[in-house]
Amino acid sequence: MKIIHCPLNGPRNAQEFVHGGEVVAMPDPHRSSDAEWASFVFLENNVAGVVREWWCHVPTAYWFIAERDTVRDEFIRTYDASELFRERVEFTRPAAPKGDAPNGQGA
Amino acid sequence: MSLNPIDRRARSFLYRELMAAGASFAEINGQACAMRFGSDSLAELARARAMAICDLSPLRRTGYKGWATAEWLAAQGCRIEDAPNRVYGQDDGARIARLSRGEFVVLSDLAQSTTLPDRLDGAWSIASANGCFRVPRTDSSAWVVITGEHAASMFAKVCGVDLRPHTFVNHSIAQTSLARMNAIICRSDIGGTLAFDVVFDLASSVYLWGAFLDAMQEFGGKPVGLEAIRTLAGV
Repeated sequence: MKIIHCPLNGPRNAQEFVHGGEVVAMPDPHRSSDAEWASFVFLENNVAGVVREWWCHVPTAYWFIAERDTVRDEFIRTYDASELFRERVEFTRPAAPKGDAPNGQGA
Repeated sequence: MSLNPIDRRARSFLYRELMAAGASFAEINGQACAMRFGSDSLAELARARAMAICDLSPLRRTGYKGWATAEWLAAQGCRIEDAPNRVYGQDDGARIARLSRGEFVVLSDLAQSTTLPDRLDGAWSIASANGCFRVPRTDSSAWVVITGEHAASMFAKVCGVDLRPHTFVNHSIAQTSLARMNAIICRSDIGGTLAFDVVFDLASSVYLWGAFLDAMQEFGGKPVGLEAIRTLAGV
C-alpha cells in the first residue's frame, strides 16, 4: 500500500487521493493569448524530476500541494496551499466595449 | 407499545433494517427512533459494552463551513480550539467536531437536552452569512455510533487508519475511506466504553449498516437501541 501524507489528515492510503495537475502560475485571463490560456488549462510540462503538484484528499475535499519526484515516484513534501497562495484570487469581468449587448445577444 | 416508523412523517433511512432486526421504536424529533431490540435490556447493555452499533440518525445535528466559521461559532458562545480533527465538548453536552480550519459538525447529546444545533440554525441566515455557510447535516449525513471493547478490531477490517485506543486517543477524528465510502469517524467514549461516532452519506446508510454488521459478526456484534447507549452514558 502506498501512503501519502496529507497536511490536514496525516498519512493515508494513496487510494484516498486524486491528482490535480501541476502548480503553474495563471496568466492574466484578460491579457493572455488563446495559445497561452490553452497551455495553462490543457497542457502539462511533464517534467522528469521534482515537480510541484495539486493533490486532493477526497474524503475531506481538501486540496494541498505536493512536491514529488516523478522519476522515483516519491513524495518529497506536502503542505497546505496557503503557503503559496496567501490571498484570494479575484476574477473581474472586463469592461464590455461600447455598443455590445451582454451574452452576445446583440441584434 | 412501539410505534410503526411507516406512520411517521420522517424516519431513518435504516428503518427497514431496524424493523427486520426486531426494533421497538419511540418518537424523537418527530422521527421513529429504535430504542431497544427485544426485552432483555441487560443483555443489550452487555452487547453495547462488547460490540454493537446504534442508529443515531434521528438525533439533531448540523454543520457549518467557510473561512469565518470559527469566529462565528465563537460569537455564538461555542468553545472550540484551533486544532482540526478534534471533538470539542460543550457545557450542555453537545459536541463540535472541527474537521478543518473552516468546517465544523455539531452533534447533539444522547439525551437530546442540548438546544445548540437548533440555536445555531436559528441564529444563522443567508442574508447575514459572511464567510460562514450552513451544511444541513440532518438532511445529508447519517449518524451511527459503534461501541464496545472490540470496536477498534472491527474497524481494522474496513478502514486503513489505526483506530486502536492507544494511538487514536479520545476526541480524535479520522476523515477517511471506510468500506470504500468517505466517512467522518469521531472517537467519543461513552461512560468509559470505547465509542466511535460515524457520520457519512445518508443515501448510503443501508450499504454501510450492512458492511458494519458483516464486519462485527465475528465479535458477536449486533444492533442496540438508544436506551442501551443512554444507559452507558448514565442519562
